Amino acid sequence: MLSIRLCSIAAVALLATGCANNSPSLGSKNISYGDTKAVETVTNEFGSTDLQMIAESMTRSLAQSGILQGRPVVQVYDVKNKTSEYIDTREITTSIKTQLMKSGTARFASDNTQMQSQVDQLKLQNQSGLYKQSTVSKTGNMIAAKYRLEGSISSIVKRSSDYKDVFYKFSLQLIDVESGLAEWMDEKEIRKTTER
Amino acid sequence: MRTKILGALALALLAGCATPPPPAPGSAASKVVALGDMKNIEVGAMRVARENGFLTVNVQLNNTSSYNKPMYYRFAWLGNDGFPVADAEGWKSVTLYGSQTSYLPAIAPVPKATDFRLEVKTP
Repeated sequence: MLSIRLCSIAAVALLATGCANNSPSLGSKNISYGDTKAVETVTNEFGSTDLQMIAESMTRSLAQSGILQGRPVVQVYDVKNKTSEYIDTREITTSIKTQLMKSGTARFASDNTQMQSQVDQLKLQNQSGLYKQSTVSKTGNMIAAKYRLEGSISSIVKRSSDYKDVFYKFSLQLIDVESGLAEWMDEKEIRKTTER
Repeated sequence: MRTKILGALALALLAGCATPPPPAPGSAASKVVALGDMKNIEVGAMRVARENGFLTVNVQLNNTSSYNKPMYYRFAWLGNDGFPVADAEGWKSVTLYGSQTSYLPAIAPVPKATDFRLEVKTP
C-alpha cells in the first residue's frame, strides 16, 4: 500500500519535472524569435528580404567598382518611392550607408535629415557662450561632399485570376557634385509572384 | 573458390557503402556547405579574384535533373584565421531551371575577407 503510494508520488513528480520549463525563457509558446536573415514570403509586398538584398547588392557593387578612391565624402539623398505601396525608403539608405561605412570605402556628409541637429549643435557651441573656447568646434569647417548618392524604387504590379506578380526595380547612382556627371550606376530587380 | 568470390563481392559492396573521402582542401567542393541533400545540384568550377581590393567569387552550379530546382544560398566570408569577418548575409532564393548551368556571383563586404564558404539549402 505504502509502496504503491510512493511509486505514484514519484511518477507524478517525474511528470511534473518533465513539464517544467528548463530553458531561460518565459512567456507564451506561440511567440519566438526568428532568423533576421531568413527569406520572408509572408505577403507580396516589399519585405525585409527585399531590403536586405537591395542594400547588400548595391553597396558591394559600389565598393568594388573602384570609383570611391581615397574614402571620398558622399552626400546621400532619400530614395524616391515611385511604387504605389508604403516603403520606408530611408531605411534602405540607412542600410546602404551602414554597409558602405563598414566596408571602409566612403565617408558621409550630414544629409538633410541630420543637418538641422548639426547646425543646432554648432550654433550652441559657438554662440551660447557656454563652452570653453579651446574645446569648441568652429563654424565654417564642415567638409563638403564630393559625390551625391541618389536612388529610386519603382514597381510594376500585374494581376490575373491565377497570379499576382510584383516586379520591383531599384536603381542607384553616384553623381560627382562639381561636374554633375554620374560616375557609377547600378540597379537591382526583384520579382515576387503569388500563385492563387 | 566460390567462398573466395563471394568474399570479394561482399568486400566490394561494403566498400561502396563506406563514407566518401572528404574533399581535398582548396578544392571547389571544400568551399560548399550543403545544409540538406544536394540532389541533382552539382557545384562546378569556382572563380576567385581580388578586384579593387575586394574578393569576388563566381560559382558555377549545374542542375542535373530536368525539373526546376528551387534552392537557397548565401556566402560566408572568412578572414585569414578561418573565422567570419562580416555579419551573416541574408539568404537568397534562386530557381535553377532543368538542366541549367547558372552562375552565382558574389563580392565580399570588406577588404579583409580572404576566403569564403557557400552555404546551400535545398528545401
